[in-house]
Amino acid sequence: MKKVGIVGIGTTPFKARWIEKTYYELAYDAAKLALEDAGIDKKEVGGVVYGIYNEFFERQFMPDVYIHNYIGMGLKPSVRIATGGATGGAAVFVGWTWIASGLYDIVMVLGVEKATDNYNYAVGHATPETLKAILFSGDMTFENPMGLTAAASYALPLIAHIDRYGSPTERQMAMVSVKNHKNAMNNPIAQSPKLLTVDEVLNSKMITYPFKFYDNCLYSEGASAIILASEDKAKALTDHPAWITGVGLSLDKAFAGERDDITIFTSSQYAGRDAYAMAGIRNPRKELDFAELHDAFTGAEILSYEAFNFCKPGEGGALVEDGVVEMTGDLPVSPSGGLIGCGHAVGATGVMQTGEAALQVQGRAEQRQVKNARVGLVQSIGGPATAWTAAMIVERIETATAKPGPKKKKRNQRKRSKK
Amino acid sequence: MIQNKEQWLEDASKKIKVPKEQIARAFQAELDGAPAIDAPLEIPDIMDITYKYSYGGISRFFREIRDNRQLYGTRCPSCGKVWLPPRINCNECYEPTTWVKLGGTAAIVTYTIVYYATSVFYGKTPYVCAFVRVDGADTLIMQNVFVNDVRQAKVGMKLKIQFKENRNGDMGDFWFVPAEEAR
Repeated sequence: MKKVGIVGIGTTPFKARWIEKTYYELAYDAAKLALEDAGIDKKEVGGVVYGIYNEFFERQFMPDVYIHNYIGMGLKPSVRIATGGATGGAAVFVGWTWIASGLYDIVMVLGVEKATDNYNYAVGHATPETLKAILFSGDMTFENPMGLTAAASYALPLIAHIDRYGSPTERQMAMVSVKNHKNAMNNPIAQSPKLLTVDEVLNSKMITYPFKFYDNCLYSEGASAIILASEDKAKALTDHPAWITGVGLSLDKAFAGERDDITIFTSSQYAGRDAYAMAGIRNPRKELDFAELHDAFTGAEILSYEAFNFCKPGEGGALVEDGVVEMTGDLPVSPSGGLIGCGHAVGATGVMQTGEAALQVQGRAEQRQVKNARVGLVQSIGGPATAWTAAMIVERIETATAKPGPKKKKRNQRKRSKK
Repeated sequence: MIQNKEQWLEDASKKIKVPKEQIARAFQAELDGAPAIDAPLEIPDIMDITYKYSYGGISRFFREIRDNRQLYGTRCPSCGKVWLPPRINCNECYEPTTWVKLGGTAAIVTYTIVYYATSVFYGKTPYVCAFVRVDGADTLIMQNVFVNDVRQAKVGMKLKIQFKENRNGDMGDFWFVPAEEAR
């Protein structure tokens, strides 16, 4: 397998609603930012992998077809990935295979999502209709009629976990909310930067037991693109590419009621195991410098610590209380603000997180930079009851031959469109 | 500007199956104001498909519920696993399964309480969604558990099945209640 570098990153602001842009216009913005960041022309792109989750969000089936043309990629290879909340991460996974196989030298991974064009006229709000659109992803015969929500889908394994281990506590979960909202203060694309107290989280409105309002990420609209390159291309384009040194993808049993142990995010365990093995990581707690996890809900972040072997089952809540996962701790989790801080623009989210990890290891993460960040983990979860996980290890590799010196090419600073 | 507002509302209401007043409220700015020519323009729209869906090989499961108030699972003759929801073959053994009658007792394995729901369930909150183990089944089934106070729901709570009076042949035909409350 060939080495895969990340050489360009572009993310639009994640917003509650992008009324002024359609999904393909947002996709264009992210594509443009990523190409500028890489310092390449669109002609150099060998193919595009799209991450777009929900047809009802976009009001369009096969939305990738219309984006591909809109961003001027006509006749190039293209495929669209839709794996629920894990769509962005799985799109990165597939883009990685296109480079690792030697098939292409430069690949764009482009995630985009709308959500709040959905509208419930009786309530006068988008969210109930957005939730309805998502529920079509639940099994239509056996699960859709029961009135689940995305939050419920995560709450089910979580309640079982709490019943077995007595953790995480609602206070520990609230601490994750405080941390991620606070981290987002340093992220100009974030939808929900906020200084909250644990009590404010605990006293916010109950949404889906045990998740209160601030335990939830918000639906978001936005787009994110990264440019992946083969080793030669990557080295030609930049002195400091980020490398994707490990990938994993797992899809668990669709009906969580068939799983051996409902308290574990088993797909994350498997995807993490594969990504760690490929990257040669034996002790993630020690070897990882940071992680961008899929904190769609606070409790999900804590269960993910356990699935990714940061600690033993049942001990995830303690990592929060001990401050390990804070920006000041020794394994900061979601320096970007995660989904809770940035918002969840579903198809774009995993791409954005991978881009964030690349910025970290390149030392380009500005105010949210983790000191000496060298190796990071990215997690992207989706599907009914966390069925899917894509996991990536993003790394800076110091080689003996690499000498500090002037950059080969003047790179554009990462640009962002104005909110 | 919309020329004939009443006609526009009537057309919109017919198109998206929403009362005119609700549409008027959502589009007040467009109807009453004079938005700039390049201001974002929203339209009422809908994606709508009707079905005559076949349950295929598991049709009996819903017929037994609808016609006989009887819950059935399926058993794999090779590994002995009892599936609920039923399936007509086993994904481990790749063998056809056989139907097996199940009783109406069960227990909560895990649950959650929905306080903020989708459009379809918006007026019905709060309600309990649970993974339930029906006695005799090896897998869990997702169902609603109706309790007087949703906060009574607990892992391990013993349940009894209840069937709806007028059954339609879908999962809404039955639910669970705490065993001691069952009639």
